[in-house]
Amino acid sequence: MINSLVQAILLGGYYALIACGLAFMFQVMRIINLAHGSLAILSAYIVWRITDALAFSPFVSMLIVLPIMALIGWLLQRVILERASKGGELLPVLTTFGLSIVIDNLLFQHFGANTRSLASYVGDLSWESYEVFGLWIGKLPVIILCTAIVVIGGLDLLLRFTPLGRQIRATAFDPETAGLVGIDARKIAGISAAIAMMTVGISGTALGLRGTFDAYAGAPQLLFAFEATIIGGAGSLWGVFFGGIILAIAQSVGALIHPQGFLLGGHFIFLTFLFARIYLNRDFFTLRHWLGKKTTKVEQHEN
Amino acid sequence: MLSAKNLDVRYGQFRAVRGVSLEVKQGETIALIGANGAGKSTLLRAIAGALPIYSGELSFKHKVITHAASCDRVKQGLSLVPEGRRLFTEMTIEENLLLGKTINRAGDWDLDRVFDTFPNLVKRRHAKAGSLSGGEQQATAIGRALMSNPELLILDEVSLGLSPLVVDQVYASIEKLRDAGTTIILVEQALDRAIAFAKRAVCMLEGRIVLDKLTADTNRHEITEAYFGLQQSATQEAS
Repeated sequence: MINSLVQAILLGGYYALIACGLAFMFQVMRIINLAHGSLAILSAYIVWRITDALAFSPFVSMLIVLPIMALIGWLLQRVILERASKGGELLPVLTTFGLSIVIDNLLFQHFGANTRSLASYVGDLSWESYEVFGLWIGKLPVIILCTAIVVIGGLDLLLRFTPLGRQIRATAFDPETAGLVGIDARKIAGISAAIAMMTVGISGTALGLRGTFDAYAGAPQLLFAFEATIIGGAGSLWGVFFGGIILAIAQSVGALIHPQGFLLGGHFIFLTFLFARIYLNRDFFTLRHWLGKKTTKVEQHEN
Repeated sequence: MLSAKNLDVRYGQFRAVRGVSLEVKQGETIALIGANGAGKSTLLRAIAGALPIYSGELSFKHKVITHAASCDRVKQGLSLVPEGRRLFTEMTIEENLLLGKTINRAGDWDLDRVFDTFPNLVKRRHAKAGSLSGGEQQATAIGRALMSNPELLILDEVSLGLSPLVVDQVYASIEKLRDAGTTIILVEQALDRAIAFAKRAVCMLEGRIVLDKLTADTNRHEITEAYFGLQQSATQEAS
């Protein structure tokens, strides 16, 4: 039981890692990127290709892939999303859905049906474990969990404390007024998309390291990312982190109840949170609500 | 400094601003007067780049900016304090002000000087902008625009929703700006205040300019008639 819980938390780290890019993009650009999973697979393939061809460590390949993914993100925004979002809220969803199909099939055409993995390139790391109080904890999942914390923490700090983060938040809040104070909304959107795709590059590598992937593995990744985002609440990145962990725990509990309950458990908790979010007060999900500190809504007074 | 020729701004089929031409010289203060729906805010938002210009030409410091993005206009030195303040309410005062510094134009406006000009903001420095009083919000909005060191400052309804006392404070601070030589266009519903503040009065009616005179050469009566469209001669004068 404890073992399942610990393993679930580690798996949750991966979910959080893949979800944070999706949530970041939704938060700052109001775009639900349905090509998120496919792009993660694309980055996994690129990492695999570089690792295979140049005999680098996958971690080095990932560093090479990050700028490539950033460029892909920037192009995605400039060429596709910018135009699509002019057509309303639904159009980017449809466009990215189409894009995911295109990416999946191009990957299939190019790389075929074989499953790939990066695990063989990291040697012992893929099975090495720490023994803690009689539990075996894999090194790699710990690295992935820590990466998730670093990435989410980094994004959070970036948004909170840097001029760029301030401009991103301002653009997300009110793009028109952001323009009036001198923020170049197009540039900010391009940078945001580039940042989101860099997190996708990291999560694609994580996916390749912890298991296998094939050309059509994008859809489940998108599903897990989406569920973690909804459970955690799209409003905060740390919420998404805990959303990923809650999702993984629910899946593990599902698997304990029934051998096929893994996915069902995740879907169940996802739907529970979805309906709870629709019908319950927003405060219900904040830490403040549970710590018993009264939320002091400061009323806006005009004097 | 700012020159508008035959500007047309539309909302779909509706022509909110019709063939407006306006010349603004360096150091001028202009009060834009008119009833609700006369097109004042629309004109100012189009000048600042928040609304697309349908036809006509707009130039600022001899550069055509008709279709420039609003952030490029800020870069050139044109700054709008929008109607209703439009602060980033989830951010602190200081963050709001720093956002005004995104375009780092040379000039002597910085955080310290804004806080000197609006001393009531100092103690609320780290408060969320949404939690401020109307006067504090307005001061923040003006301060945010000033942080870009504008050469032309456009103030849209700065006294809206403020108590008379706070309006006095806000005006005291923008009078300082005027006396320092900043070119200002402002929209003000209180006619007496507008005439007292500005050197020139421009009156709009149904999307057109119907009166454009120095405040010294006109009077309350003439402006009121133009405001309501009573004076036939005023329309002819402008055309």
